[in-house]
Amino acid sequence: MKQLLWAERRKLRHSKIVWIAVFAVVMIAVIVFAEGQFVFKGSRYIDGAGWFMTAAQSLATFFVLPAVIALLGSYMICREEQEDTLKSLRLVPVDEAKLTVAKMIVAMVFSILIYLLLFVITFAVEAIMHFGTLSIQTVWGFLFTYFVNGIGVFFAISPIVALVARMKKGYWLALVFAEIYSFAGLFASMSEILKIAYPITAVFNLSGYYEATIGNKAISLVILLLCITLTIFILSGFNRNSKRIDVQ
Amino acid sequence: MLKLTQTEFLKLRRRKFILLMLLAALLMPFLAIFYFRDIRETGIDTIQFYKWTAFSYTPWIILPVVLGVFSTMLMYDEHQNDMLKQLWIVPISKTKYFFSKFIVVLSYSICFMLLTAGLSVIFGTLPGYITFEWSSFCYLLKKCMEIAILTSFAILPLLAVAAAGKSYIFPVCLTLVYTFLGFILLMVNMYLHPLSSMTAIVMRDIPGVVLTQTLNIPAAFICIAIWCAGSVVLAILALGKRK
Repeated sequence: MKQLLWAERRKLRHSKIVWIAVFAVVMIAVIVFAEGQFVFKGSRYIDGAGWFMTAAQSLATFFVLPAVIALLGSYMICREEQEDTLKSLRLVPVDEAKLTVAKMIVAMVFSILIYLLLFVITFAVEAIMHFGTLSIQTVWGFLFTYFVNGIGVFFAISPIVALVARMKKGYWLALVFAEIYSFAGLFASMSEILKIAYPITAVFNLSGYYEATIGNKAISLVILLLCITLTIFILSGFNRNSKRIDVQ
Repeated sequence: MLKLTQTEFLKLRRRKFILLMLLAALLMPFLAIFYFRDIRETGIDTIQFYKWTAFSYTPWIILPVVLGVFSTMLMYDEHQNDMLKQLWIVPISKTKYFFSKFIVVLSYSICFMLLTAGLSVIFGTLPGYITFEWSSFCYLLKKCMEIAILTSFAILPLLAVAAAGKSYIFPVCLTLVYTFLGFILLMVNMYLHPLSSMTAIVMRDIPGVVLTQTLNIPAAFICIAIWCAGSVVLAILALGKRK
């Protein structure tokens, strides 16, 4: 497993996707900063301490990042089939189940790092603009929120990535599904029940972005765990199928 | 050019995923069922219903993302299957090739918006939220066609980027960022980004829409024209360099 994780990390180093994802995160920060120039009741949004860090995480989660993470996950899985390296891996032989798990772990780490990068950028801007008004507690609170968002968003989109792993060539589908799935979270947040139960908004309940009771947080956690259980279920079915193909 | 466009349409028959992407047109009409459920008793204005299902998030987010992914697919699949070399041998004009792709995107955009219009009427009349009127339906169709045509022009930069590169990762990520930028700039300056300019043009005569910025239709058209011209130049130069 350790070797597979090492190999996946090495493969990503040669790929442009990491830099493209970094570009997407930087652009999100720039775009949200541009939105912060909007004047409301005589002052700009960006002038409020903490506004940038608050707005960036929700906008990024509803509009861009889940799709980017799903794209990376599905890309890592589909590239073996696409670049015809799967045959070589089978000849080694590499356990396909372990390989998929390794890819999923790398995608989760990538998801966390993407959110932490967004935190670093937004924190840097906040520190420049409102250094005096930011307390250490606030910053730690935001760091925790971004970290949990990174893990939670991966859990929420993992069934889509798993489905792609099963279909092999469905990376387009993963992207469109993930985008609509995350975008629908915007509407789910309008309903008190859906806010707790919809996986994307459940992430915000857990991370503390939304104010939630312990009970609501527990339900959100169960929803996200159900997502990851569904992923394991899809992947285990897929591995059984691929083993059957190998035997034939 | 006509033959080239016809060939492009024939190629689409092999891609079932393109039909699946049309399902995205269901999202806003479906969500409208829940959104308007509580205000049903007070009476729902037909135009207000259509504004939610077809004139808001569909042109702001859903249609641009779908068209961006569609444009990338059109270009990427040919790179992947190494079909471009064969096309250049025929020979096919690179400008005509690019515009034939654009016509396919435009047609897909029209199909998507017509489907949205149809679904808006079905999801509005079946639960009894609105009553079917020819005048409002014609207005819906007119607006949907406007959105379809303008969005396909606003998405030209993404088609150009997809034509310029060989990978699908960058155009697809750019689609997300580009759409997000267009949506955010709606509040800041509508005349910088083609998608927000398209919204300014579409919103000009929708009843009940209050814009915080002064409406300047010529500026919106100029914005779209500049971006389109730049995109066409970029695409033709990039395709010209390719062997």
